[in-house]
Amino acid sequence: MTSRVRIQLQPLGATFEVERGAPLQDPLFVHGVEFPCGGKGRCKGCRVRVLEGTLPVTPEDAKMLRSEELAAGWRLACQSRAQADLTLELAQWEVPILADESAFEFVPREGLGIAVDLGTTTLVAQLVDRATGHVLSVRSALNAQARYGADVMSRVEFAVAGNGQRRLEQLVRKQIGRMIAGLIAAAQADASRIREVVLVGNSVMHHLFCGIALEPLSHYPFVPAEAGLRAFRASELGWSIPGDPTVRFLPCLGGFVGSDILAGTLAAKLGESEELVALVDLGTNGEIVIGNRRRLLCASTAAGPAFEGARISMGMRASTGAITEVSTELGRVSCRVFGNVSPRGLCGSGLVDAVAAGLDLGLIHPTGRFNHGRQEWLLAPHVALTQNDIRELQLAKAAIAAGIRILLERWGASKADVTRLYLAGAFGNYINRSSALRIGLLDFPIEKVQPAGNTALLGAKIALFSLDGQEGSYAALAGRIQHVPLGADSHFQDVFVDEMGFPAPQPVPIGGNQS
Amino acid sequence: MSIFQELQQAIIDGKAPVAKDLAQKGLKEGLKPGDFFPQAIIPAMDEVGRRMRECEYFIPEVLIAARAARTVTDILRPLLTGADAVKPVGVVVCGTVKGDLHDIGKNIVAMMLESAGFRIVDLGVDVSPEKIVQAVQEHNANLVAMSALLTTTMVNMKAVIDALNAAGLRQKVKVLVGGAPVTDNWAKSIGADGYGKDAPAAVALARQLAA
Repeated sequence: MTSRVRIQLQPLGATFEVERGAPLQDPLFVHGVEFPCGGKGRCKGCRVRVLEGTLPVTPEDAKMLRSEELAAGWRLACQSRAQADLTLELAQWEVPILADESAFEFVPREGLGIAVDLGTTTLVAQLVDRATGHVLSVRSALNAQARYGADVMSRVEFAVAGNGQRRLEQLVRKQIGRMIAGLIAAAQADASRIREVVLVGNSVMHHLFCGIALEPLSHYPFVPAEAGLRAFRASELGWSIPGDPTVRFLPCLGGFVGSDILAGTLAAKLGESEELVALVDLGTNGEIVIGNRRRLLCASTAAGPAFEGARISMGMRASTGAITEVSTELGRVSCRVFGNVSPRGLCGSGLVDAVAAGLDLGLIHPTGRFNHGRQEWLLAPHVALTQNDIRELQLAKAAIAAGIRILLERWGASKADVTRLYLAGAFGNYINRSSALRIGLLDFPIEKVQPAGNTALLGAKIALFSLDGQEGSYAALAGRIQHVPLGADSHFQDVFVDEMGFPAPQPVPIGGNQS
Repeated sequence: MSIFQELQQAIIDGKAPVAKDLAQKGLKEGLKPGDFFPQAIIPAMDEVGRRMRECEYFIPEVLIAARAARTVTDILRPLLTGADAVKPVGVVVCGTVKGDLHDIGKNIVAMMLESAGFRIVDLGVDVSPEKIVQAVQEHNANLVAMSALLTTTMVNMKAVIDALNAAGLRQKVKVLVGGAPVTDNWAKSIGADGYGKDAPAAVALARQLAA
């Protein structure tokens, strides 16, 4: 018997070795698995399913998991020690990282292409048949850099200190290389037919992947050192793909606004619209594009991590156990929980819903404070919304709302002129539009607000059909989008403060039953 | 309710026009300009600070109250000359450090310090160490209060302290730091004299350091 065992993770495709009998918690954490209760066997958040091999049932497993679950191979990862080679399925990857299946127009080309959306938090890659436009395989993962900081600024901080940048660069290049290998294997594709790889991401991801010094993005005026399209051969990145295809990272738009937004603008066809339209990506950095065929403006606004559940007392990402929806009917609160488990925390969409419900129920005053001296509101057993959580949300929503307001002012338009607002990204896909309106985050009639899915990935796929040699639609479009640095706008801070409160309650319709 | 009590309430509620009217009415009725600080403005802003600490007030309410207080100090300032002059509690040079444009927190601290009787020299945002040194010399300041909101810019606080040292001013001024990423440990590690975790804490600390 050798002293090491091999662990394979699905659907990540990652493989690693550990000492026989060693706890699985640390190596799994390295691969992005979270331990919501801190690995104490008190929740089921880290559970894994044994696909190949065996994991003994621990007393904690027996306590936390039903017998059917145990029989199906589910175990608590935090309590597990591997005694033999294993293939494990991660429950947390029930977390839907948004891929993209939408149809798009293209001129057929020869060979295969790979589109990668390199997000600060998540990575999604698709292998595409350029003759048919079909997606042959999909891989998604949490960005391996995330252990060095959740948001872009902490990533910048890590990069500019010591040798951090090189470390982050290598981590993400290796991770994407593994994902590409996974895409090829999953589709059983002929790798020599890959002609092109296109990546999109914000300016920090662009710099980290391409190896451009991040220092200029660490302070005002936040001007990227080099924002242009970068092209590599796969081999330069340490990826061995037969034929050594070209790898392109699309250009940034300015400040922190990167090619994910450029790609989104192309995918949502903002630049072709006669009417005034907007694209909003709600994240730690909120990004906004508004405009039409004639003129486009973009900006980024630091919303902080509230939408991702960070700095929220019981906050968590939208993974197993998260309250994703809160609704009220006749004054009664009900919560929807992700996965078939008891509620463990509150993710961004649940937070927005909870505050909207609190405002409707009169528990929360429009200034954001709890009424009647309340300090917290128990939404479900063990999950409470605190006063400070509301304050964090106020900061996040004010940053977005102020960004939208200032861009509209710069454009010379009002909210009413916006005919459609596309919500890009995962959070935009799950947020309840009525709640977003209720808290003043998106002060637009809900019929105008349209979740647009992963527009960054879609835009990257479109690029697979329009780039090589020619400028395609990208350079021209990038040149038409003007970046507005909000931080330097002295008016921004006033608007930001002005947007911190919540809209006053709507008058109750006559005859309405609010008992 | 006395005019001072009414004025306190108007400031706490952030009613600038009411506060302004009350201040003018009080002066017309013969109240001494120098009495407004101890009897209305300072207690009102202390109450605002308490509500902020207890999460009852958030940034907008604090700013609105501070603006109401400022309308009153603006009326009083020209009157506080000659025999009526009130010696400031201290002179504070404040600003957001180089590379950083966040000024809301810094403004709140500045306005609260002003309401507490300090004279404020606000250098704004993206302030270089040299500018701070220059202002300390020019205004004979005894406090420097600086803010940073980014982990990447808070290192510039250290640069300010180094510049004060190099200019031979470090012994003359107390240095107060604050901002979301700043911690007590960080303040100690760069050799600051104090860390204000929020505006009321900064005011309390400034009072202590200026005493």
